[in-house]
Amino acid sequence: MIKFFRNIPRHFKEARNGIVRNFAMTLSSASAVTVTLVLIGAFLLVAVNLDSFMTSVEEGVQIHVRIEDTVSEDKISSLQASVEAISGVRSVVYSDKDSELDALIEVYGEEGELFETYRGDANPLKRAFVVEVTDGLLIDEVTAKIEAVPGIFSALYGGSSIIEMMSAFENIKSGGIIFVLILSALAVFLISNTIKLTIFARQDEIRIMRLVGASNGYIRTPFLLEGIFIGLLGAILPIGLVYFGYTYLYTVTGGYFFTPLFTLITPQPFLMYISGALAGIAIIVGLIGSYISVSRYLWWKR
Amino acid sequence: MIKLENVTKVYKTGTRALNGISLYINQGEFVYIIGATGSGKSTLIKILNGEEAASKGKVNVAGTDLTKLRTGRIPYFRRNVGVVYQDFCLLPKKTVFENVAFALEVVSEKTIYIRKRVREVLKLVDLEEKAKSFPNEISGGQKQRVAIGRAIANKPKVLIADEPTGNLDPEKSEEIIALLERINREEGTTILMVTHDKELVEKHKKRTILLQDGYIVADLMEGGYVSHD
Repeated sequence: MIKFFRNIPRHFKEARNGIVRNFAMTLSSASAVTVTLVLIGAFLLVAVNLDSFMTSVEEGVQIHVRIEDTVSEDKISSLQASVEAISGVRSVVYSDKDSELDALIEVYGEEGELFETYRGDANPLKRAFVVEVTDGLLIDEVTAKIEAVPGIFSALYGGSSIIEMMSAFENIKSGGIIFVLILSALAVFLISNTIKLTIFARQDEIRIMRLVGASNGYIRTPFLLEGIFIGLLGAILPIGLVYFGYTYLYTVTGGYFFTPLFTLITPQPFLMYISGALAGIAIIVGLIGSYISVSRYLWWKR
Repeated sequence: MIKLENVTKVYKTGTRALNGISLYINQGEFVYIIGATGSGKSTLIKILNGEEAASKGKVNVAGTDLTKLRTGRIPYFRRNVGVVYQDFCLLPKKTVFENVAFALEVVSEKTIYIRKRVREVLKLVDLEEKAKSFPNEISGGQKQRVAIGRAIANKPKVLIADEPTGNLDPEKSEEIIALLERINREEGTTILMVTHDKELVEKHKKRTILLQDGYIVADLMEGGYVSHD
């Protein structure tokens, strides 16, 4: 371990030499990382905001479960327990006839006052449970399961179009992830090619290193550092764009898109996490790219 | 120090470079390997420093059984075997001092030790005055002395010299052989020298092994040149 630390300055010096000698290639690989990370950054901003939007929509989607009139008052709590036991159910709130009438009156505003005449024994409304689900996409399935419970008259939810929209968002997210993975693979390939050139330029040096007994780890480390540097160099612009671009967007839009329902995530600490993620991806991409090249080279030579 | 038992090397192309050779070299010996081009000399050197694996037979160098050595351990084995080539293999952008120091840096020696050892080595190869010169500023003989210095910096038990005088005139060749003899005598390093230089072999008589078509056809303990024609 002490030897490892003793070698760090030497490795950094060698990595710097590699970058300086192949500066044009370093820049070209770094720009590939830049393009990839700009797209990944944009994708992350959209995906995380969509996720937060979907969570708030999911929280708003409720199932209105009407109870059969034949169910006696003392059976309500056991019926509630059976609904709560269904997987995907987050919460169940009981609403008696009076509360149901209140809700109806509230929906119709001033005109709803007319329904006051139905309060008491004349109330034709059924008692109900207001059910919230853990995942909006499960709402169909959960509704069907609740309807099948004996004692339940009906289970309905509003906003099926919202659920369809959420499913579309999910597809966009999955497609985006595949796209980002392909771009990352491309960046890895480009970095690995740059490192291959560096290895070629330093072939004699590597030959001598082997001749005098340098371990593969010792030979590999400067190249890995170089890969990390290329990755980080390529990450500067995307991090800047994401950081300042999003802050600007947030200020200009006042913090939401089109409707207050679609609230943008506040820039801090959100942007710090996104920047950290981009830097992390850049390091990993650089590391993998250089590792592939140098390992292949060292593997071929004894 | 070097023990080869029935060693055969067949390359993937089907070329048979060595045909079941056996060889025993004791610690502190100085041995010439001679033979025509294609006789198997280079393959023998590659097997001895772990660059190639034997197809058959047993190879033991400086106490390491190379037939059982994992690839990852080869670098550590090489620290016991110094190699010098005809083309010097010096780093042009490093000074004489740095070229020798490089061998110690890559095995993670301490900076203080590196400075001390390099000074010792440069004294041994008589290049103290040239420590700050770059390879393009010194003669061929001096370059070879730097290469020898680098090869012995790690105090290897065995030094393999592959035609170290091949690119040098007779006067410089004499200097190199004198240096190798000195290393052999003072450091106790076992030396294996591949050469084509008939005069040198005749003048500085040592055990001489003749290779031909991958076989050892002569092993003269008293030395002297044997023709391979």
